Amino acid sequence: MLESIDLSRLEEALQKHMGEEGALIPILQEAQEIYGYLSEELLNHIGKRLHVPRSRIFGVVTFYAQFYTTPRGRHTVRVCRGTACHVRGGKHILKAVQQHLGIGENETTADFKFTFETVACLGACALSPVLLVDKNYYGKLTPAKVDHVLKQYA
Amino acid sequence: MPEGGRTLKLRSDQDLVFFREDIFKARDPKKTCVTICGGTGCRAWGGEEVRLAFIEEIRNQGLEGKADVMRTGCHGFCERGPVVVILPEEIFYQQVAVGDVPEIVSETLLQKRLVQRLLYTDPATGRVITYDHEVPFYKGQMRKVFSDNGRIDPTEVRDYIGRGGYSALSKVLFSMTPEDVIDEVEKSGLRGRGGAGFPTGRKWRFTRSSPGELKYIVCNADEGDPGAFMDRSVLEGNPHLVLEGMLIAAYAIGSHSGYVYVRAEYPLAVQHLKIAIAQAEEMGLLGDHILGSDFSFHLKIKEGAGAFVCGEETALLASIEGKRGMPRARPPFPAIAGLWGKPTNINNVETYANIRSIILEGSAAYASIGTPGSKGTKIFSLTGKINNTGLVEVPMGTTLREVIYNIGGGIPRGRLFKAAQMGGPSGGCLPSQYLDLPIDYESLTQAGSMMGSGGMIVMDEKTCMVDIARFFLAFTQDESCGKCVPCRIGTKRMLEILTRITRGEGREEDIDTLADMGKTIKDSALCGLGQTCPNPVLSTINQFRHEYEAHIRERFCPAGACDSLVFAPCENTCPVRCDAVGYTALISGGRYEEALSLIRLTMPLAGICGRVCNHPCENMCKRGEIDEPIAISSLKRFASDWELRQGKMTPPTFLEKPKTDCVAVIGAGPAGLNAAYQLGRRGYSVTIFEALPVAGGMLAVGIPDYRLPREVLENDIRFICQHHIEIQTGKALGRDFTIGDLFKQGYKAIFLALGAHLTQKMNISGEEAKGVFQGVDFLRRVNLGEKIDVGEKVAVIGGGNVAFDAARTAFRLGAKEVSIVYRRTRDEMPANAEEIEEAEHEKVRLLYLVAPTRILMENGKVKGLECQRMELGDFDASGRRRPVPIKGLEFVMEVDGVIPAIGYIPDLSCLPQNDGFKTTKAGTLSVDPITLETHLPGVFAGGDLVSGPSTVVEAMASGFRAALSIDRYLKGRDLYQDRAYQALQRAEVPKAEEMETELEVTKPRAKMPAMAADRRVCTFEEVNLGFDEETALREAKRCLRCDLEH
Repeated sequence: MLESIDLSRLEEALQKHMGEEGALIPILQEAQEIYGYLSEELLNHIGKRLHVPRSRIFGVVTFYAQFYTTPRGRHTVRVCRGTACHVRGGKHILKAVQQHLGIGENETTADFKFTFETVACLGACALSPVLLVDKNYYGKLTPAKVDHVLKQYA
Repeated sequence: MPEGGRTLKLRSDQDLVFFREDIFKARDPKKTCVTICGGTGCRAWGGEEVRLAFIEEIRNQGLEGKADVMRTGCHGFCERGPVVVILPEEIFYQQVAVGDVPEIVSETLLQKRLVQRLLYTDPATGRVITYDHEVPFYKGQMRKVFSDNGRIDPTEVRDYIGRGGYSALSKVLFSMTPEDVIDEVEKSGLRGRGGAGFPTGRKWRFTRSSPGELKYIVCNADEGDPGAFMDRSVLEGNPHLVLEGMLIAAYAIGSHSGYVYVRAEYPLAVQHLKIAIAQAEEMGLLGDHILGSDFSFHLKIKEGAGAFVCGEETALLASIEGKRGMPRARPPFPAIAGLWGKPTNINNVETYANIRSIILEGSAAYASIGTPGSKGTKIFSLTGKINNTGLVEVPMGTTLREVIYNIGGGIPRGRLFKAAQMGGPSGGCLPSQYLDLPIDYESLTQAGSMMGSGGMIVMDEKTCMVDIARFFLAFTQDESCGKCVPCRIGTKRMLEILTRITRGEGREEDIDTLADMGKTIKDSALCGLGQTCPNPVLSTINQFRHEYEAHIRERFCPAGACDSLVFAPCENTCPVRCDAVGYTALISGGRYEEALSLIRLTMPLAGICGRVCNHPCENMCKRGEIDEPIAISSLKRFASDWELRQGKMTPPTFLEKPKTDCVAVIGAGPAGLNAAYQLGRRGYSVTIFEALPVAGGMLAVGIPDYRLPREVLENDIRFICQHHIEIQTGKALGRDFTIGDLFKQGYKAIFLALGAHLTQKMNISGEEAKGVFQGVDFLRRVNLGEKIDVGEKVAVIGGGNVAFDAARTAFRLGAKEVSIVYRRTRDEMPANAEEIEEAEHEKVRLLYLVAPTRILMENGKVKGLECQRMELGDFDASGRRRPVPIKGLEFVMEVDGVIPAIGYIPDLSCLPQNDGFKTTKAGTLSVDPITLETHLPGVFAGGDLVSGPSTVVEAMASGFRAALSIDRYLKGRDLYQDRAYQALQRAEVPKAEEMETELEVTKPRAKMPAMAADRRVCTFEEVNLGFDEETALREAKRCLRCDLEH
């Protein structure tokens, strides 16, 4: 965690957005794409380059759910907790994922294989209840099917 | 598909026209094109793999170049994805798998033959449908915004232009002034589709007239309502439609710069927008000098980062500015001072998507659709407990019923509609009395809901409305930006209260506190999120207060959804809380005696309920979601039959020591029997006084022997009487004794369970003729041994269990033809479904939508029945359609016996007149709903006497409630406090490892063996034969053991 990261990988993104109004959020988004998460070192660097005070950067990063300040697992499991999924038994899927992975919401497994999140709605309501592993959708789930899905990524 | 890499820029409106003509010329309308839905929903179903399979298979079968494969935008019928439509015929294939592709290519593409199994079958009619536009889901819609979705590749601007795209922009740039455009949009009546419904033209006018050269156009694509995905489908499926609308808005307002703010959770929409913007720029449709005119407009995409509040306009603008997405007070409105303080027009995706048709068809044509206050069409995302989940576009003013039933296909598994939630976390729920509400902005607001972005979540009887309120509030609490106190703290406190209620820790004052808090938050919150987040709570309290009360006062969740309160759905729903999952588990382990003891913890009529119960438990059984519910009732019968065959009986179980107090129960029906049993077990001495010569009430004289044999009834009664209970038959209240007499004799409390045994008169002429037998009377006389000559051709009037019992009994008495005449439809018949099936099996004729008008007599005897054909008219307050006569369609049935069985009511004549007993409008006795007390101290009443005709299990539940009240009364304890259900000590039940439950494999439910149909009608012997041991074990093992989840 105290190792230095290669900040040069961010240069291209910084150049692209430099001078743009409201550039902070797109830059943070690109930084997260590159590095997987936004470490304190990274955020300090961005603040310096954009002449934005650290307090403001942290204010923005902590406001939005999609910015992560801790390292993530290789795979992100997102269980939908939208209304349609809820009405069709979504909470059982949530419990099944918790049981299978052994972690709670917004946590990462010790071996950094999985990070578990919930999303307010994935917009795939016909398949409810739904979960997403990275970019792959799995629908019409039952607790038993959850095991089957997650085993594919073990 | 670029033309040889040459960049084609359109520099005039003529260029666009010629370009479009070129596209037409190059296109062969007769060429086969396989369109595959490429929306996120169908991709999740595997649509991409299907598309790739088509490309490969077309090559393999030599059709390359002769058949195109096109990935289109969302078709809207998400339930049936992956959707494949073969053009030009418009053949509609649904749920297409990769394995189906070779067959489709060889059969349909090569040989023009249909693959029947992939066509859509209309569940309502059974008709197999071939073409896209004939599918009922689409037929009921008016797809204007979605008109191109299924026919274009959203990543190919040529397709859009080929369908007339950008001709509206061209018309605007070259033949309309900005004022003209704003006039048209105003006249069209278009209102913002994001939820608030502000008139769009007016907003544009404000922005245009705001001082300043620099103005912005913003598209709000931060569709955050859970369950709403229409904007996503428009952006994914036809991004140019939105761009064109934005360009026209920019021209009208005088803006040259804009943003589309898309939520990050829509990667495909972002991708398609990026492609669309790049292509439009390349072609001169976006950027500088659009189509060679003086008008320039540049567009950028901004992605959200996961904050629902950024759908609120000022929060969205803050987010574009790179700040925390926190709203600010308005005024000033964005039209005056928005993005970076400049005048900004911000509209929803769907609002912009409507602009093209307003310009091309004209405002008058647009305004001809919809209602006076709400013009045009609206897209709804229909989800939840609905057969056809998907996106539905209908004219404003369409009723909820049309959307849910005609287009949506109704509720799965034949369940009952409970409510539709509209407006997402900002909206309210609409129960069944609103089904005929025309959907428009005003009507929804008046009904306590709102249009919102268009999410429509359908809920059935298994949805708990308290849980739904808590669900929405948990969402908004999480998403609250925290800036203002009412929202930040108010939502937290409301959520705490709701969570407590769903956990069975609710307090009496909670409902009023929630209502009060909700109103305060609405009045004082800073932005739309806070101002509307109490709506689901206020709306559910308004419409479903009784559910809140049940959670608080009885720690009971009627829908069976709140985990902390529900042990297992079957047990939760049973009015007497019989431990169905427990006894099923015991049966599966061969422990029949223990199963029977477990059943008898809560109720003593095992053999009876195992045969005649209407089993609400089976309706809630979770196994029913996989294949079919467990045959819970028949398993109960199995346990009871086993005991009968053994010849011995399980011993009585006493819960308390014997007491000296004596209790009198009037009526030996199910309510009286269970009350006596529950009191007897608690040590009281009980005497049941029964007016008829036999005990059992309706069980003895209502239900015929072929459904409930005498020996089963006697066995159950014998079990009850082991508990210091005496039954005295032939003793009638009023005739043989009075209430005062009983108290004088030393009884300390009395339970009136007289039942309902008077048939309701039909009030048609001829009812007094010979050959007319009032339903309940008829059954009683037959059950008491009388041989009635019912005639050869009999008509039974009514649709409840009594009518069916009478009909099947009539056959057994020698009638040759028996008909049931019912004024409504089959679906509305209150009789048990099994009863109806059995009657049909025995060749009873069922006549629906027929009402009797007169009984024709000759010499005082029945000669015929004059009838009137009916049709379903308008809906009445109960939500059912009222039958109305069809003039001219009267007819006469030739019958010599008529049995009216339209309803029955209690006979209150035995109660002292003017003694203070109150009655209800329905003619039943009025008592305290919680304690069952009458006005006389120590006198309680329940069963059909109080509820009107109901079921055996409800009557037993009433008896149980009365027993608990009497027990407290005699102990001098409060009768009201803590009436929540207290589960009795559960016997030891097998754990999951000892059972083989198979979750995934579908196994059909065991069938009840029955006597052959032709033999049945000659005898009163029991028709259903009961499960044998092997069948019972197999059936019991299908149980999912929902109780073990805890």
